[in-house]
Amino acid sequence: MRTRAQVNRHRWAILGVAVFVVLLALVLKSAYYQLILTQVLLWAVLSLAWNLLSGYSGYFSFGHAAFWGLGAYTVALGMIDLNLTPWVAIPFCAIVGAVAAAVIGFPTFRLRGHYFALAMLAYPLATLYVFQWLGYQELTLPMKRESAAAYMQFSDPRIYVLLALGLLVATLLISLTVENSRFGMALTAIKQNEPAAEAAGINTWRWKMLALMLSGAVAATAGGLYAVVQFVVTPESVFGMLVSAQALILALFGGVGSLWGPLIGAAVLVPLAEGLNAELGDKLPGIQGVVYGIAIILIILLAPEGVYWRVLDRLSRRKPASPVAPREAPAPVPIAPRPRAATASDILVLRGVGISFGGLRALDGVDLAVPKGGLYGIIGPNGAGKTTLFNVINGFLSPDSGTIEFAGAPLMGLRPNQVCRRGIGRTFQVVRAFPRMTVLENVIVGAYVGAANDAAAERMALAALDRVRLSDRGNAIAGGLTTRELRLMELARALVPHPRLMLLDETLAGLGHDDLDGILGVIRQLRDDGITVLIIEHTMQAMVQLVDHFSVLDHGRLIAAGKPEAVVRDRSVIEAYLGKKWVEQVRVAAK
Amino acid sequence: MTHKTLTRRSVAKGLALTAGALAMPAISARAQVQSVKMAMVAPLSGPWARQGQLLRMGAEMAIDDINTAGGIKSLGGAKFELVVADAGDSTEKAKNAAQRLLADQPDLIGGFGAWLSSFTLSVTEVTERAQLPWLTLSYSDAITNRGFKFIFQTSPTADHQAAETIPKALDLAQTATGKRPRTVGLIMDNTASPVSFAKPLRDGGFEKAGLKPVVDEVYTPPLSDATPLVEKVRSAKPDFLLLLTSAMPDCKQVLEKLDEFKLARGKLPLVGNGAPFGAPELLKTIDAELLEGLLFSVANWPLKGQEDFIERFKKRTGEPWLTQDGLCGYGHTQILKAALEAAGAAAKLKVADAIRAMDLTTGPAAQCFPGPIKFDDKGRRIDVPMIFAQWQKGVPLSVYPTDRALAKPFWPSV
Repeated sequence: MRTRAQVNRHRWAILGVAVFVVLLALVLKSAYYQLILTQVLLWAVLSLAWNLLSGYSGYFSFGHAAFWGLGAYTVALGMIDLNLTPWVAIPFCAIVGAVAAAVIGFPTFRLRGHYFALAMLAYPLATLYVFQWLGYQELTLPMKRESAAAYMQFSDPRIYVLLALGLLVATLLISLTVENSRFGMALTAIKQNEPAAEAAGINTWRWKMLALMLSGAVAATAGGLYAVVQFVVTPESVFGMLVSAQALILALFGGVGSLWGPLIGAAVLVPLAEGLNAELGDKLPGIQGVVYGIAIILIILLAPEGVYWRVLDRLSRRKPASPVAPREAPAPVPIAPRPRAATASDILVLRGVGISFGGLRALDGVDLAVPKGGLYGIIGPNGAGKTTLFNVINGFLSPDSGTIEFAGAPLMGLRPNQVCRRGIGRTFQVVRAFPRMTVLENVIVGAYVGAANDAAAERMALAALDRVRLSDRGNAIAGGLTTRELRLMELARALVPHPRLMLLDETLAGLGHDDLDGILGVIRQLRDDGITVLIIEHTMQAMVQLVDHFSVLDHGRLIAAGKPEAVVRDRSVIEAYLGKKWVEQVRVAAK
Repeated sequence: MTHKTLTRRSVAKGLALTAGALAMPAISARAQVQSVKMAMVAPLSGPWARQGQLLRMGAEMAIDDINTAGGIKSLGGAKFELVVADAGDSTEKAKNAAQRLLADQPDLIGGFGAWLSSFTLSVTEVTERAQLPWLTLSYSDAITNRGFKFIFQTSPTADHQAAETIPKALDLAQTATGKRPRTVGLIMDNTASPVSFAKPLRDGGFEKAGLKPVVDEVYTPPLSDATPLVEKVRSAKPDFLLLLTSAMPDCKQVLEKLDEFKLARGKLPLVGNGAPFGAPELLKTIDAELLEGLLFSVANWPLKGQEDFIERFKKRTGEPWLTQDGLCGYGHTQILKAALEAAGAAAKLKVADAIRAMDLTTGPAAQCFPGPIKFDDKGRRIDVPMIFAQWQKGVPLSVYPTDRALAKPFWPSV
């Protein structure tokens, strides 16, 4: 997240770019150069639209031509069939794009990663054939000899430059706003670790849909203006693979996930390709494709995230690393310890919970009653189903039998972010950090679910960091933390929305003796503050010291529950951990 | 006694006179020799590069012929020059090429191109606004339906082609076999040209010709498998098959599938439309026996009276035979030359007027096209006969109109 000053700097830069383009349009006398300038601006807008979804959230789309083409056809058909002027049709394209995006997003966001990208590829391809079948192989925008301006037909090509520039400036401002809002943080969190974002209370589906709809609206609007400039619309020219590829390549080249990347990419690659095509197209056929290919290869080798990030890295390395000034932490918000309930009510109740993965019964008839306030341990050998149990409680998995109740209300069927909203926090067996964000930003993501506004979120985050005694590392990038610091950061993130129940998955794993004491202290403090803690652990030794109650899981079944001293001596527990042979040895030794 | 002395003055005078004498032809030459430029925009790279190159070959041959014969006579023997731009493989590139050409060459008097109908549409959006007269062999409906004043289409419209092709093919069949076909099968792709061609047929054209379509299959290129199409043909048994494919690989698939189903080699008469049906490339991938007898209607094809020209073209370019592209490249250049001669000035508006007023039946331009070179107010040619060509022994030869054909037609039958 940027400071206000940084945001303003970008605003000034946008103004600067606009002024530069206007001057360029005035200086370039040739209609050809003005046409190329218009095309640079339009392709930049498409690439920025792609960036809004794919650059920020990491959900790569290979199908943005679908929106571009729908926009182009909306304007063309509007003018041909309804005599609708593009001045009206182009804003309408935004609605067309958003609706198309919603329709596409519903089924496609069930997929992730490569599958999502491939599925997105299908949409423009299918739409291309639909439009061919509909008989729209070649549409030309009718020439309006009278009242041309009313139909966005100008003899001076510079007006098109201005129109495209207007669209570019609007898109840049939209991108800037998104980048510096909760929207942008949510998308970044999704990009860096989607399950963590879900568990921290981010409604990932909603943010992804919003991003796609915004992206589709902008892309369709640009496509509409493109139709006005080109006059001829064919399915191949607006729904073709090359259109989607261009949106991607420009952003990847220029700097994916950045404000300026797409514009840099468009400003370099579009004139380069056109210039090469002009000079060498007939002598070296296909030169444009070759140039694009070489550009991609060079970028992958030399600047994998794009020109913009590379340049930024270079510039920031040159400056001496300023010492990380510890933030002035405000007074921590004290959590009043919750009084123990008069009747020992159970905060979490599982009855007969079971789940299978194919032929493997991972959990089988698990009954669990976690009393309110206190430390409850879940222990068991590898593969017992402990993390699966947490995933079921958390909402990542759906049990196929049994019920789960939290504070008296059923919990099944809720998505992880909804479970988080109910008041359950979660940490993971392998820490799920947002590696490129700072520690403070990592924790702020967890605060969104409970905070009224961004300022409150930041305050709550600072308080949580203070609670786990990690305030001095607030500005460090999460990717560079030690295991102990990562565990504490994850604890803080789960803590910040004041949960009533914390699910800690092997929080003590990987810690040395000194680190262990620190974390144990934090966990005990949570219990003292009234939060119920359910903790999974491997090692008997640590657990026996820490918890009030115990459950032992083996092969998906609960084989013992109760106070630590009793459980440790339970025969079946010893068998599960040490084996029958040792049971005999113990008995012989006891004699 | 007077004697000539080499005074300074006389030397100076002498030098001045010599200089003047030397300069004279230079001055008059500069006044005489200028060049007049025309343009060609066509795909020279990408999937349609070959077509663009053939157009270029024809145009360059015409330029050479014109300049060798003395250039543009009404402009004092000015040389004719061709400027070329590559339309590439997309409508965006075609438009950029046209815009670039116009920006670089403000003195163009006219031009032709861009082979593919959607490219022609893009290019002419630019040339119309620049008031540059433009000739084209493309014929999709949109080209002359826009109310443009500077577009001149030398190919007959799709409507006209469809209206001419079917009845003539039936006449041919009747003359050759004594029977008039009653049923027809149609296999086509859904690109612009076949769609424009088939629409009037479905809208009553077939009925008017007394034909019943028993197979009507439209596919989206590229064709993955011709089996379902040909199976329908085999079970419906039409009297002849109308084949409207635009891509050669699709044509190959259909022909080979017909052969597989024992419907080729004369069993089922085939009628196509469009110059790609006579391309030499077909012979490289399809057996000449499968092509034998394939009849196709085309806007322009080498005719009688052009033998000399055909030979010169073949020798100059090494092509196995002349096709529509080379012929139109040559013909369009000659039309522009004729317009220049009539206009008497290297000004595009005057050239456009000259083309509109044109009615050529003789001369090198008229010899390149069947029918008179005369355009209506939409830019379409009036009363243009369709040419039919047929593959005979591995060469597609014109077989109709009978008085100008290079070969006699036959109707394949078993």
